[in-house]
Amino acid sequence: MSDDTEFPNRRESEPDIRGSNAETERDEAKTGWATADVEMQWEADRLEEPVSEAGALAEKLGLDAYPVNYWIVNYDEMNELIAYGGFQKRYPHWRWGMTYDRQQKQGQFLGGKAFEIVNNDNPAHAFLQVSNSLADQKAVITHVEAHSDFFANNQWFGMFSDDPNAASLLSRHADAIESYMQDPEIDRGDVERWIDHILCLEDNIDQYEAYRPVSPANTEREGEVGDIEDQLDELDLSEEVKSQVFDEDWLQAREEDEEHMTVPEEPDTDVLGFLCKYGKQYDEDTERAVDLEDWQADVLEILRREAYYFAPQKMTKVLNEGWASYWESLMMAGENFADADEFITYADHMSQVLGSGGLNPYSLGLQLWQYVENTENRRHVVEHLLRVDGITWRNFHDTVDFEHVVSMLEPADLVAEVDPDSLTEVPESDPRIDSEGLAAARAGEINLEKYPWKLLTEEGLAERHYSLVKPENRGYLSRISMEELERISRYLFETDRYASVEEAIAAVDYTVGWTRMREVRESHNDVTFLDEFLTQEFVDEHDYFTYEYVQSAEEYRVTSVDYKDVKKKLMLQFTNFGKPTITVSDGNYRNRNELLLEHQYNGVALDLGEARDTLERIFELWGRPVALRTIQKEYDEHHIEVARRRDREPEAEEKGLEIRYDGMEFEEVDLSWDAVEHLAATDIDYDTKPDEWLA
Amino acid sequence: MGLIDDLDRFREVGENRRQDLADFITYGDLGGSRQDSVRIPIKIVDLPEFTYDQRDKGGVGQGDGETPDVGQPVGQPEPDDGDEEEGEPGEEGGDHEYYEMDPEEFAEELDEELGLDLDPKGKKVIEETEGDFTDITRTGPTSTLDFERLFKEGLKRKLGMDFDEEYVRAVLKIDGWGPQRAFEWARTEENIPVSLPWLQEAYEDIPASERTIYRNRAEMEAAVDREDPRVRIRRDGVDQIPFRREDERYRYPEIVKEREKNVVVVNIRDVSGSMRKQKRELVERTFTPLDWYLQGKYDNAEFVYIAHDAEAWEVERDDFFGIRSGGGTRISTAYELAAERLEEEYPFSEWNRYVFAAGDSENSSNDTEEAVIPLMEEISANLHAYVETQPSGNAINATHAEEVERHFRDAEDVAVTYVSSPEDVTDAIYEVLSTEQS
Repeated sequence: MSDDTEFPNRRESEPDIRGSNAETERDEAKTGWATADVEMQWEADRLEEPVSEAGALAEKLGLDAYPVNYWIVNYDEMNELIAYGGFQKRYPHWRWGMTYDRQQKQGQFLGGKAFEIVNNDNPAHAFLQVSNSLADQKAVITHVEAHSDFFANNQWFGMFSDDPNAASLLSRHADAIESYMQDPEIDRGDVERWIDHILCLEDNIDQYEAYRPVSPANTEREGEVGDIEDQLDELDLSEEVKSQVFDEDWLQAREEDEEHMTVPEEPDTDVLGFLCKYGKQYDEDTERAVDLEDWQADVLEILRREAYYFAPQKMTKVLNEGWASYWESLMMAGENFADADEFITYADHMSQVLGSGGLNPYSLGLQLWQYVENTENRRHVVEHLLRVDGITWRNFHDTVDFEHVVSMLEPADLVAEVDPDSLTEVPESDPRIDSEGLAAARAGEINLEKYPWKLLTEEGLAERHYSLVKPENRGYLSRISMEELERISRYLFETDRYASVEEAIAAVDYTVGWTRMREVRESHNDVTFLDEFLTQEFVDEHDYFTYEYVQSAEEYRVTSVDYKDVKKKLMLQFTNFGKPTITVSDGNYRNRNELLLEHQYNGVALDLGEARDTLERIFELWGRPVALRTIQKEYDEHHIEVARRRDREPEAEEKGLEIRYDGMEFEEVDLSWDAVEHLAATDIDYDTKPDEWLA
Repeated sequence: MGLIDDLDRFREVGENRRQDLADFITYGDLGGSRQDSVRIPIKIVDLPEFTYDQRDKGGVGQGDGETPDVGQPVGQPEPDDGDEEEGEPGEEGGDHEYYEMDPEEFAEELDEELGLDLDPKGKKVIEETEGDFTDITRTGPTSTLDFERLFKEGLKRKLGMDFDEEYVRAVLKIDGWGPQRAFEWARTEENIPVSLPWLQEAYEDIPASERTIYRNRAEMEAAVDREDPRVRIRRDGVDQIPFRREDERYRYPEIVKEREKNVVVVNIRDVSGSMRKQKRELVERTFTPLDWYLQGKYDNAEFVYIAHDAEAWEVERDDFFGIRSGGGTRISTAYELAAERLEEEYPFSEWNRYVFAAGDSENSSNDTEEAVIPLMEEISANLHAYVETQPSGNAINATHAEEVERHFRDAEDVAVTYVSSPEDVTDAIYEVLSTEQS
């Protein structure tokens, strides 16, 4: 294994696409590349222009991405990358083999698909598969540019590191774990099993905090005791006081306390971190817990670091995929990035990705982003209209001629129809016109037929693509509710009055939608995004609904179309990676250094079978017995039967339960309500069943 | 180490070295295959984790153009695949743990793989029915993708792009011919799809001394043999086929009057206490492809699932592979039930009949000889088969398979086969299917 994780026949286009003017110097660039494979080279050649133009367009549109390095890879390399979660090198483990197997089978039975891989890194790395159609490649490139912007600007990604250098981090991890596996002193199977144990807790970290390394506590503690002695010295106490109060016994006791200081002050969701600090392994020969081997502690910390690295991606899936789909669609369809003959393939590709069944983060995200854009634009326009003399929130719907307003909002011909043949008439000083672009176009240096956007500034492009005048959005303005009108008018300052609707509309700023979107992409994650922007209007527009398992009918049924319910269920699905919150409650449980975990019960029960299996693994990482407290729901057979006859739902009884695993067997004890009451959240209810269903 | 190694390690998960993970393996969705598509199973290992109770969790769905009514039933939610792998942005959404395939395609694949070509013989009924998937469209469900056509078009494209490189290099060695001249020759006179950059590069690679080997074209043509790309591809194979979306065609059925071929498959399984998990899995792995295969071969396939211990009863497919009961074993009870069911609904004059039984060969004393064998002789069928699943070799009193095999040694419509590990499954399927063919 060498340190070189690059593919032998990689093709790198210009490292910094934005800085290059690749159009004119393609042939020279080409000779700089190794020429192992003609096909690869053609592909790199063919994509050079789309890559550099996509970057330039993205920048025009106000995106501010990490530079992207594109690599052309073949089908097999693509499968490998997909298997490794988008990277070229990962630690040895069967889970990559599993994905690889699936990937190969998919190729074998279903033929190839256009995949896109881009890594959160600076510069970002993206991979293009050589056999993809040009339309697919362009779609991937535009999508990637938007992802890269998201990586660079979203604060949750910044939390791991502003300069992730992920490829080399993961590659170092791979080397470390590989060296343990090859160490003759260490059994490779042990390392593999150890990894499996840790992976069961992959999501049990504190993803709302930045990553901080943790090392085993036993080394730290010596330091701490030393510190205390130092501190005592600093206090400059008399020997007498010292010997009376802070004697050896006191220090000893203090040291022992440290030994038992494994109770987190607050319930701690970073179970992995806690195990890094205080975990031990069970030694079968001596039948007691012993310290972790160095390699065990190291592997634990490595996998924890990877969990933290990947957490932002899991926390922003809807947001990030929606963001990329939004800009991809704008560039591909809106700016004709797909040539006419490629467009059908592109549309086909897009509908496949967005329409692939179930709750799809791409489509939910795209719809929400469009909703953010439309509602922000609407808010802005409505603010202007409410300042027109004679228009108030009360008479808004009766007074405003919405069709007329929408037609006035239509983009001016100057930006809507860029005409390369009448450049002389284009006003240089118009803020919508890019003066450099205009000069270049007049000099014949750029092709406006193909790239009309080069003539425009962001302001011009925003007007060109203004959302409220698109056919599918023309009803937005008139659809605004009275509540929202009232809310907007309440916060309106009575300055800037307009004499007429025409005057008000002329003052509309077309860029507010995009500006707002960029703000949102900086600060939000999926949970906050859904919480803030999911409204009844949105739910109605896109036909979302909730469903629940109905005990009496033994099937899933639609339970609500109310946005509050849809939001609740989505929050459940996206909060904490869609997993129950498990916290470390006590590292010295039963006063015997046992580990007590608690399930912060939010009304949705744990899968107990999985929980038991997981406890078995945690035992391996703790070395001593482990216990979990939770609240279970029980349905009385009789109640179900009664409810069924009345066509109602039975009410579950909630009961405290403790499951303990001592390395040999499980013990399950019912707990009194008092013992678990603190775990039950009283302020949230994820159940969406209509009240009248309940028996 | 590397991916190939990872793949090997993955295959070992659940086997000897990594028995500890055996409980976490699922094989896609074998049990839930719908009648009209086959799911290609792939092994999935799901490590345990703290999760919500699936039923208690509920979820969110999206209506198809309209909002559904409250109270309306919805189908079984797809397994939660919210965080496949690392949640890599950009991977296609909604990875699934199985691949859907048309049973017909599956049958073709298997025919190809095993060198079989079972021609469904038998009863034909004239009926108006959905015909073959012969009409084509450019879009459609994946299961109807005409993969063969996609492959052929890809191959054509490959052929179109391919040329005899050696021959073209030789052209460059004609005195006075440079890349430009060769390019004109290739494009105008020969229709060889070679590019100018390729020629320039090839020319540069030729040592100056060799650039004038042939004095003229005639001399070169005399010295160098041409090889048609077809011949080369046939000899060397193709390493990669360029699949293009524009070549995709999806088949949909045309409505025609035609002869229909009916098949009924009776699957019998021993569910007694001795049939532990591993044996049950082996049965599922053997029976499921057989069912798919026959489903793909016939227009109309029906299945009867019979479970038995000391008694027999009919079950639904979903339950068939999972059931476990206590008690002893009396295989004849299952054949009695099978005979009854076939007599009632599937007369041999109208139906092709297949009777497949599986178990660990344990049976109550004399039952095989006195009851099962006579019943097997009595039940007319295209094929009878017994699949013995014994992961650890033969148990002493497990002689059912041997007795049946001995008795029907010369019969052409009875197959007996032994499966002791997943690797034997393919052989067993071959054994069973090739018995009917012969």
